[in-house]
Amino acid sequence: MTTLTTPSPSATAHRDSGGPRLLSWLLRLHRPALWAWTALVLVLGAGLLWLWGPLTDAAAAAWRQYNACDMRPRCAYDQPAILLYKDVEHYITLAVTAVPFLVAAWAGAALFGRELESGTAQLAWAQSLSPTRWLTAKLAFPAVLVTAGTGLLVCLYHLAWSAGRGRIDTARSWYDSLVLHTNGPTTVAFALTGLAAGALAGVLCRRTFPALALALGLTAVVRAVAHLAMPHLWPSVTHTVDRSEGPVVLGLEADSGLVTSTGAHVPVPRCDAMDPGGCSAAYDRLGAVGYYTEYHPFSHYWPLQLTTTALVLVLAGLFALGAFWVLRRTTGTARAAAKAGAV
Amino acid sequence: MIEYRIDRHSGVATYVQLVQQTKQALRLGLLRPGDKLPAAREVVEATAINPNTVLKAYRELEREGLVEARRGMGTFVRRSLGAAPADDSPLRAELDGWAARAHAAGLERDDVAALFTAVLDKHFQGDPS
Amino acid sequence: MTDTAIEAAGLGKRFGRGKWALRGCTFRLPTGRVCAVVGPNGAGKSTALTLAAGLLAPTEGRITVLGTDPASARPRVGHVAQGKPLYPRLTVAETLRVGADLNPGTWDAATAERVVAAGGLDPEARVRSLSGGQRTRVALALALGKRPELLLLDEPMADLDPLARRELMGTLMAQAAQYGTTIVMSSHVVAELEDSCDHLLLVGGGRVRLAGEIDDLLAAHTRVTAPADDADLLSSHTVVDSRATGRQLTALIRPTGPLPDTWRASAPSLEELVLGHLRNPEAPVPTPAAETGKAPA
Repeated sequence: MTTLTTPSPSATAHRDSGGPRLLSWLLRLHRPALWAWTALVLVLGAGLLWLWGPLTDAAAAAWRQYNACDMRPRCAYDQPAILLYKDVEHYITLAVTAVPFLVAAWAGAALFGRELESGTAQLAWAQSLSPTRWLTAKLAFPAVLVTAGTGLLVCLYHLAWSAGRGRIDTARSWYDSLVLHTNGPTTVAFALTGLAAGALAGVLCRRTFPALALALGLTAVVRAVAHLAMPHLWPSVTHTVDRSEGPVVLGLEADSGLVTSTGAHVPVPRCDAMDPGGCSAAYDRLGAVGYYTEYHPFSHYWPLQLTTTALVLVLAGLFALGAFWVLRRTTGTARAAAKAGAV
Repeated sequence: MIEYRIDRHSGVATYVQLVQQTKQALRLGLLRPGDKLPAAREVVEATAINPNTVLKAYRELEREGLVEARRGMGTFVRRSLGAAPADDSPLRAELDGWAARAHAAGLERDDVAALFTAVLDKHFQGDPS
Repeated sequence: MTDTAIEAAGLGKRFGRGKWALRGCTFRLPTGRVCAVVGPNGAGKSTALTLAAGLLAPTEGRITVLGTDPASARPRVGHVAQGKPLYPRLTVAETLRVGADLNPGTWDAATAERVVAAGGLDPEARVRSLSGGQRTRVALALALGKRPELLLLDEPMADLDPLARRELMGTLMAQAAQYGTTIVMSSHVVAELEDSCDHLLLVGGGRVRLAGEIDDLLAAHTRVTAPADDADLLSSHTVVDSRATGRQLTALIRPTGPLPDTWRASAPSLEELVLGHLRNPEAPVPTPAAETGKAPA
């Protein structure tokens, strides 16, 4: 067919080395998301700096005044500083806790679900970008930004929390169910889980809103599982006390119960807490002589954080692998990928 | 350069229309030996017809010895067709006068065309169009 | 280099546990052809194109594209989906830059820009503000800029006015003439494709009804008008479609021998051929696809 015409010189087709310019492509598509993420990290980061410096100092000073009052009925102390610290700390803790869920919602809806629903994902695949590379790019670049942003927030949170520790009486303990995670790398791992869950939900549902819901659900499940598993991921310390002293909380609890006369550890029986006599009788029947608690002291914080982070990252990795598997299966890329892998 | 016009409702195969229009241009002297026929690309871009249809027409013209394809250069006219009466030929002047008389006699365009076709059919029976 | 653009054998696709969108499809499309994929809405045209584009994996059977599996052929294949998906937030110029980003080394910016400019589109206009026809133009520009060996277009002309339709069809044909690009386009309007296509794939009810060169298919069929009394004689030929009106019988047949002089025979148009086959799903199929294309029901 070309014999009758002279093929025009392909001067217009510029030859580049290397593969598709993925970063340029992704930035073009997701610039608003990048701005939103930067803004979120900046706002929360600024809030944390404020909390770390001026708010902690003011609240600590107020607490010193308050403690100096020593229960005298009339005594002036800077109550607003204490309340402001408490409010800001409360909302920032919630916000940092919510970051992984925000990532999950965005990934499930905007990054993956909507693209597959509207067909723009298929458009990219038809433009020399294989589904595998498409997914790799859409996971890798956001993962870097999510890790950097969440990591920065978690570091600042840790600084702010450490600054208040021992100086502010109402500061939350290290094993508070939210602080336990906002203070360390598990939150970064949760955020990455959100991203991977978004990918899996997107390729499974191929619809914006179902993918959003599934991504949030998966992330919530992983967070709950990690929270429940955390105390058991590192050997705990056992502490027993006499029955007369009553149960104590010393740190992150793995298990607790009653010590019987034989030295056996048994769970606390069900009894009506409003009726001390009733409980007492139940304890007597078991032959309880004391309480035990298996717990983690603050010195276990980093081992616990790192083991849990590893566990969560494994789950996130499984989500990502699942997303690749589903995508290859639905698009028939498996054979091509295997071929490319063999080269 | 010849410009093809495709009549989708004529019932005449598209490639035949291209052949006829090329021959018409050869007869009228609009195309002369050495002239280049438009490239298939140009024809299909203007008419939205299938490229293979153009190639088929050009092959047909080549088979009849009217054009030749030169590899990588295009398709060129080899010879012109018949004694194509130019604009100022006596035959054309006679026909012109005849048409004027028919018009003056009150004949409609269709009547004239029918008359002309009937006479053509009588004299050129069996000739390929 | 293979001379086969697409080859399918027993190809089938089912979504979930639902109905088969396509089943038992066997056909071969040579390279350098402009193929019309014709059939009613929901016949499986889009599914067939999506399978060929390597965007979906078949449930059963096999499909080979440009001599390899569709996923490996993807860089050499252009695909424009029916909904003309584009990134709504990007401008026209940015959309074309996406094409350049994703096809380094092969991107033909001049062609892509020419297609867009011919429609008088403002390069700075956002895609979401474009009309359906303008989106089609941008989607085609993106597909043509990739300079594919095989171009798969799903209902490419549906949103276009007649002028733009003619102009873009001309652009496509020029692409085919210049680079030998094989083009496959689907439509449920046959007349739209008649002059531009030389190959036909007729799909109905998820199956291939008719496949082959349009000239061959037309030559193999005859439209006859016969006296109603000749119904028996008619059945000695392969009858695709027949209807009786009064004392007359009009039929689309594939003659198996000479026809009686009393019959009026004429060449069918592509539209008549297509409609005849669609009206009669049980009509025997003339291509080899008939023998090998039977899938277990």
